[in-house]
Formats: sequence, C-alpha cells, structure tokens
Amino acid sequence: MAENTPAKVTRSAGEREMAEGTFSPLADVYEDESEIVLVADVPGVTSDGVNIEVDRGVLTIEGRAAFDVPPEKYTRTYVGFEPGTYFRAFALSDEIDREKITASVADGVLTVHMPKAPSARTRKIEVKTK
Amino acid sequence: MAIFRWGTSFDPFAGLRYLQREMERLRWPWFVENRRIGGGAYPPVNVYESDDEILVQCEVAGVDAKDLDVNITGETLNIKGVKQPLPDEEKLSFIRRERGSGEFTRTIVLPDEVQADKIEASLSDGIMTVRLPKAAAAETKRIEVKPTA
Repeated sequence: MAENTPAKVTRSAGEREMAEGTFSPLADVYEDESEIVLVADVPGVTSDGVNIEVDRGVLTIEGRAAFDVPPEKYTRTYVGFEPGTYFRAFALSDEIDREKITASVADGVLTVHMPKAPSARTRKIEVKTK
Repeated sequence: MAIFRWGTSFDPFAGLRYLQREMERLRWPWFVENRRIGGGAYPPVNVYESDDEILVQCEVAGVDAKDLDVNITGETLNIKGVKQPLPDEEKLSFIRRERGSGEFTRTIVLPDEVQADKIEASLSDGIMTVRLPKAAAAETKRIEVKPTA
C-alpha cells in the first residue's frame, strides 16, 4: 500500500483510505492549459452523498455508495460489490486555485474541475522597448 | 473445473487457483488490494434471490442506458455494454489513467428459470438493477397425496 500512496498525503488520509468498508475509486486525471480535471468512477453515489475537501494541499474525495440492498427475504447468491464509502486523497500542486474547485456527480461518475491560478498559466510576456 | 486441460497452458492447479481467488474475495476484512475497485471481472455483479424473484445488480459507472444491452436466453443473462471514453480523449494529456473504456460483457447463469417477458431493468447513479420474476415452474408447489379408496 505504501507505494500506492502519494508521499505528500498525510498519515490521517492514508488511514481513512485503509478503513474497513472503504473503497479506493479508479480515477483519470488530465490537464489542459487552464485546468486539471479529475474523473472518478463512484457507482451508487448521488450528488448529495459526496464530500470534497482541500486541506493543507491535499484534495480528499469521499462518497457514500447508496444503493438498495434487498431486504432479508432475499438470499445473496453472489456478491461482487457492497455498499460502502469511496475515499481517495490526492496531493494538489500549488498552481491550483483552491477557491475555484468545482465538482459534479452524474451517472456514478465524479468530475472535479480544478482551475489553475492565473499566475500559473503559461503567459506570453511582452517585451517592451523604451 | 475439475477437468485438466492438457494444452500449451497446462496448469493442474487452475481449479484450485480459481477457488483461492474466490476465497480471497470473500474474506472479511478484504485485503487492501482486493478492496481496490478494478480487480476481478468487470462489471461487478450482485445476484440476490427470493422465493418469487431474482435480482441482479451491476456496477456500470459512466455507462449510458442506451449503451447497455441486456439479453436473456433460457437461464443465461447476458449483459453487454460500452463504456464511452472521455470526450476528445485522444487530445487530452493524461496525468493518471485508471478508468479505462470500451466494450464489456458479463454472463450470469441464473439460479432458476425466469419469465423472460417480465424482466425489468433500470439504471440509476451508475448501478443497473435487473428484476427477473421467477417462472411459475420454478415455484415450489405442494402436492397433496390422496389415499386411494
């Protein structure tokens, strides 16, 4: 597990990731000129069941997988997944404008948009002549 | 599983290995590696059974209802689908890539006969639920034993 955890992630985030009934969602991260986008598969999570925090340079995503588990009278013939909590932490680079992070959940996919601070964007500097 | 396959990939312990994997999967608390979603057959399924119904749940995050194709042949349920890649994927510069996309198929052999025309499937928040009412033939019927006169 140690090699899977980014070095900057705090110990507490690592422990939450290891907690019982917690799943680490698979994620894509891509970048363009103006932002970094995180896309994570979180089946069973609705928009009100998701919690995203930024603390000391660490972005944590947490989501409650809430789907109906059939009542007692149903026997479990085969169980491939269970309800639980998705949790994952990412170290943020300094170029992200933390105030402007936005997130949405649709069809079990969480998308987090992290705009880069204007100072971090590639900028053409005009050379003035006197 | 008990039959050895004498071929290029001869593995007398294939059956045992399969069994071991299944046992690892079922062990609680699960190992960290096993809790990581993405291992094992995709998409993950749950099969529940009551006296009059079989319920199949299937985790298909990011898959559109129109890209799902659910078929039944006798007692075999076949779930096919396409997980679409991110829009303009080839133009994106990825830092991390784990989700993957593409076609998938999963075949489930149902524990009982079902009424094929009364199957209902719904999709919400990336979880598909298929309700399959059992066929009358699968219901247990009590047969009265009459004494002969």
